[in-house]
Amino acid sequence: METTSVDVLVIGGGATGAAALYDLARRGVKALLVEQNDLTTGTSGRYHGLLHSGGRYVISDFDTAVECITENTILRRIAPFAIEDTGGMFVATSQDPEDFPARWAAACAKAGIAAEKLTPDQARAIEPALTHDIAAAYRVPDASCDSFDLNHGFITAARTLGSDAWIYQRVTGFLRDGDAVVGAELVDTRTGEQRRVHAACVLNATGPWAGVVAGLLGLDVMIRLDRGSMVAMNIRWVNTIINRLRPPSDGDILVPVGTVCVLGTTSIRTEDPADKHVEVWEVSKILQEADPVVPGVRQGRALRAWAGVRPLYEPPAELAQLETGHDVSRRFAVIDHTERDGLRGFVTVVGGKLTTCRMMAEQAVDVVCQQLGVSARCTTADEPLPVPESSPRHYHQLSHRVDRQEHGALPGALICECEVVTQPQLEAHIASYGDQPVALDDLRRDLRLGMGPCQAGFCGYRAAAILQAAHQSTPEEATRALGDFVNERFRGVRSLLYGHQLRQFTLDELIYRRTLGLDALLDLDQPQAEEVRDAAE
Amino acid sequence: MPPNKSVRNGLQAHTTVREDVDVIVIGAGLAGLMAAVHAVNAGARVRLIAQGWGQQMVTPGWLSVCDRAEDDVIAEVRGYAALHPEHPYGRAGDDAMVAGLESFRSAAEAVGLPYAQRKKDGHNMRLITLLGGVQRAMIAPRGIAAGDLTDHHGPLLLVGFAGWRDFYAEMTAANLRRQGIDARALAVELPDQDRWWDLWPGDLARHFDAAPFREMIARQVAPHVAGVARVGFPAVLGMAEHPHVLDDLARQIGRPVFEIPTLPASTAGVRLTDRLRRWLLRQGARVQIGHPVVRGVVEGRRCTGVEVASLGHPTLFRADQFILATGGVYNGGIQTDESGRVWEPLFDLPVVTPEVESRADWYHDTLLIERGHPIHRQTGLRVSTDLLPLDAAGEPVLDNVYVAGQLLAGFNPLTDGCAEGIALATAYKAVHTALELDA
Repeated sequence: METTSVDVLVIGGGATGAAALYDLARRGVKALLVEQNDLTTGTSGRYHGLLHSGGRYVISDFDTAVECITENTILRRIAPFAIEDTGGMFVATSQDPEDFPARWAAACAKAGIAAEKLTPDQARAIEPALTHDIAAAYRVPDASCDSFDLNHGFITAARTLGSDAWIYQRVTGFLRDGDAVVGAELVDTRTGEQRRVHAACVLNATGPWAGVVAGLLGLDVMIRLDRGSMVAMNIRWVNTIINRLRPPSDGDILVPVGTVCVLGTTSIRTEDPADKHVEVWEVSKILQEADPVVPGVRQGRALRAWAGVRPLYEPPAELAQLETGHDVSRRFAVIDHTERDGLRGFVTVVGGKLTTCRMMAEQAVDVVCQQLGVSARCTTADEPLPVPESSPRHYHQLSHRVDRQEHGALPGALICECEVVTQPQLEAHIASYGDQPVALDDLRRDLRLGMGPCQAGFCGYRAAAILQAAHQSTPEEATRALGDFVNERFRGVRSLLYGHQLRQFTLDELIYRRTLGLDALLDLDQPQAEEVRDAAE
Repeated sequence: MPPNKSVRNGLQAHTTVREDVDVIVIGAGLAGLMAAVHAVNAGARVRLIAQGWGQQMVTPGWLSVCDRAEDDVIAEVRGYAALHPEHPYGRAGDDAMVAGLESFRSAAEAVGLPYAQRKKDGHNMRLITLLGGVQRAMIAPRGIAAGDLTDHHGPLLLVGFAGWRDFYAEMTAANLRRQGIDARALAVELPDQDRWWDLWPGDLARHFDAAPFREMIARQVAPHVAGVARVGFPAVLGMAEHPHVLDDLARQIGRPVFEIPTLPASTAGVRLTDRLRRWLLRQGARVQIGHPVVRGVVEGRRCTGVEVASLGHPTLFRADQFILATGGVYNGGIQTDESGRVWEPLFDLPVVTPEVESRADWYHDTLLIERGHPIHRQTGLRVSTDLLPLDAAGEPVLDNVYVAGQLLAGFNPLTDGCAEGIALATAYKAVHTALELDA
């Protein structure tokens, strides 16, 4: 079995883990990050894109609000490449509690959140799509943040400093030496290959998986898992982030991100850290709640819906009394298991917001460094992250890609028209996986293949064939890869199949069934019903 | 948003009224186009109005009548219709089905675009899909039908174009080989590849109309046909000159050639639509595409006209008889919204909707399951045997609006392998009933 030694093993490739890896690297600590999937595929990637000013929490959770505005200011400074300064607005309609805006504004002042009162006319001058029924409106320093870019920025910077990150490595167990954790055992989820990593300290930054990972050591970390769904509309209905000015509840935010507008969110208790389910009623609820603020959005075209699992940490006794996750604190906790459980070399960080990921990392790494006897202080807020030049960040910006395509900088056949992905880009990304298996869904995350309005109806076939040619895979494998991708895309839009998107997806299904004959080809691989019966008897 | 209620009391202000015709056909899919052809052939004055061209622009091009039939297709449909009177084939009746298919072939022939079927046994053909599947269909454009696998076992050579995004011959051939079909792939070069990054099938087809381009392709293919029985291309073999392109390429290559349908837009559909449109215009029919009908004007149970969106104000078009061929969920003949409402937008006709609790159950959990999904299988209009729309009690709602094609309830156009057969049968039936013609 392959064995590696590092100072610190960081588990979890979300924003907190990535920020911790960077933080450790800046303090001169050699660290390795391992992630069970691809980077930014958990809560951080399944996120709405709102860099909070803190206004949203200022009444329900004052401390989190203060953390948000502090970190909002820092992230704007250190990661401008991941942030679009859309600004934000809080808007109350006549349906919302009358006394709330004044209380809210007072709390913002106390928290240090600049909330500038706007007249309804001023608010509509900034955002003409807003309702005429504005009871109160304030401008706040929200922004739109691309969590993929931010994460990539942290990882790239950490790698530059000598640290590394491995993907598709799941922790299966820990190495113990008496009352100390001294490393972990990993399995490559693609190849099944096992590895061992020795580390003086392990940081558990696994978000909703924190309880599961700590459970491998017999530790009890209580995480309340709270699923939130989001819907992306096909245009930017607004260019400013719009928050409903009322106590936090479902469907409160509209976030312009890239070419789309994300509406969110819901809050549903779940037991599954990997829960990605979006119920139809959640979509309806989100649209119904957004419509009074931006009239007409309910009739708009919804492109995608997804859900993320918030890992909420709260001492157990308080949990049971609260009905929905909106009320539970978004604060985070760093658990030093030395103190709590008598186990050295293991630290858990849990809870929090994407906006506060750097601060979470800082405090977690402080504890880790204390255990290691490292005295270097955190410097991640001190200077900007290097702009990740080789990053896939531009793939998240459609206008940039269209510009390059139109000016000849992206030569080669246009494979995904919706998101502007070319054949050479696909081939380069397939090659970058080396001899590792690569699914079309991996290419989707890397390049946004199939993420646009047609949801892979056209590019799925093309990409499957390009992948087959690159890997010289069998037609069974290639057909299966396409079938998997098609089904994955279907699951992503299933809750949105009405109106325009139903028509679009009917065309896609027509292509899959009638033009490609994909259903019949997939059936070739299925054992015949009789054979199955025979085998059963 | 409320549905566009049909106007039951007079007209909107500022409406222009256009002169009468005998028949207005709403919709320009296979059903609408053929309804117009039938009405013209019957001597009627015809106006065809549609928001856009129909689904033939995206379907592969072959005509599915009853894809599941193992032997005689017509016999299978007859048997099925007898047992299922509510199915569109049952509503239209056997005679209309047979006459609808036959008259389509005549119409296509008349516009210089012959379609083929297996005359000798009446079976479905076995045609090659883009991904290398084998699809049954009864009728197909001559170029696609030439790829019928039924009686031919010789090796196939599939020709693709290096760097062209819409056809991957090696993948098609590999999938055919694992089904025991002898096929191999050849990639030929297109000149000036840098210019071809956004090349649609129709664009490439127009290049094939030019003789020098064909010769350039044929020169690359000809050296590779030794031992090959037939040569398959993606369906890009000419647009305006398609029949000539097929024959000319075969002559130059020295082997029969056939086409495999590509991703939309469907070249077979473009060719057919363009030629039928021009034929209709030559016969004096009016063909209006792009300005949709926004509502029907109804007095009692008679439709007296349809209002069409146009610049500045709606225009009313009057007629005696109306053929409603606006299509299903894909085409816009059926509308849906986020609340789960399903409606017919022009006349607000009673619609059969999925027998499920809510929109959450319009789809099952897996996409490519065998019989498809309730939103497609259980949505559409119920009609009388005259194809008049019915209410829940089974009474006709309108007396001079006949429904044809995918707007009809009772089948899943994506999975049942009969979408074009139903379009042709019901278009024939609708016009013959409306004009009181002998079938």
